[in-house]
Amino acid sequence: MVSDLIEANERFRGILDRLSTKSIEDYYNPYRVFEWPETLPENMWWMSPDLTSTHGSEVVRDLGEEQLHRLSKYESVNFYSLNVHGIRELLIEVTRRIHTTDFEAPSEFFHHFIGEENEHMWFFAEFCSRYGHKIYKQPRGGNASVPASEAESLLVFARILIFEELVDYYNAKMAQDTGLHDTIRQVNRIHHQDESRHIAFGRELVAILFDDFRVGASEEELRNVERYLKRYVSYSFESLFNPQVYRDAGIEDPLEFRSTLLNSPTRHEFEQRVFRKPLSYLVKTGIFRDKNLHVA
Amino acid sequence: MTSTAPGTIDAVRDWIVGKHPERSPVDQHIDLIENRLIDSLSFVEFVFVIEKASGTSIDVDTVDIDDFRTLSAIEKAFFPA
Ligand SMILES: [Fe+2]
Ligand SMILES: [Fe+2]
Repeated sequence: MVSDLIEANERFRGILDRLSTKSIEDYYNPYRVFEWPETLPENMWWMSPDLTSTHGSEVVRDLGEEQLHRLSKYESVNFYSLNVHGIRELLIEVTRRIHTTDFEAPSEFFHHFIGEENEHMWFFAEFCSRYGHKIYKQPRGGNASVPASEAESLLVFARILIFEELVDYYNAKMAQDTGLHDTIRQVNRIHHQDESRHIAFGRELVAILFDDFRVGASEEELRNVERYLKRYVSYSFESLFNPQVYRDAGIEDPLEFRSTLLNSPTRHEFEQRVFRKPLSYLVKTGIFRDKNLHVA
Repeated sequence: MTSTAPGTIDAVRDWIVGKHPERSPVDQHIDLIENRLIDSLSFVEFVFVIEKASGTSIDVDTVDIDDFRTLSAIEKAFFPA
């Protein structure tokens, strides 16, 4: 039982208390805290250049500064849109578990988590609607590839952690980037502050769930977890390369543009850079045997 | 609309086989989703592969999942005869 593991883990219960207290201390009213100018200037970077999907690629040589700015605008709207959809999905999973027997111990923390994520979803959606006049969608279909098994909660929380770490890499950089507009920096800074608690929680919980899972798991089951989560990492990375964004930025063949970028030699370096922290964590905990994402 | 030149369903089949070489040949009528040849993590890429091969753009808001279940259904829905 997950609940027994958590009850018995004094260290984790201490962390839960501390993170919940911190949530209360840091609480802010998101509906008041932001300044939303009527418009944001078009002729600027909306996202740090080295975070845009074309960074380091040959294709940027064909694009002028004006088009790069436009591209960065739509890329940023795509990034916040991914947050909106990612948050919806993680809220569903956490809500499904709060105050159930297994998750009684972290339920106090889950209240903060759910409340904060709802607010994050609001300010990300607000940014998209105000400045991009839309929230990008992604095709969704196919059965959930999380095999319903002993590993289900492990995979769910590992996914949430991977997603939050990906977003946080972008938030932390953009919060610091003095070349960006204050509103953009503020959105990223505030999210980064809240996410540091969520990530600290996720790292602890995923390690506990994995230690429990590995005791009864076969080598084959362990490899399935690794394979699935590695696919999830790449899937998340690839969602940053949205053909709709390229179309909106006036790029001629958006699908071709996307595959050029994803197949370019710089892709792996970019992917490893973005996921450096979670990959180290996943290897350290033994969930991954290595950081290599592209195994046959 | 994309500017990709229309191709054939073979590009879609090749992409699936590339991901699951052990499942080759992929039958026209096999349910790709039930049989886990496509899952939620590969669906996005799958849609792009179909768009690219067919030259049609797919509106994600009005997607009917049954149009994606089999190669035969995909051909009917997205590849003009
Ligand atoms: Fe968040
Ligand atoms: Fe979060």
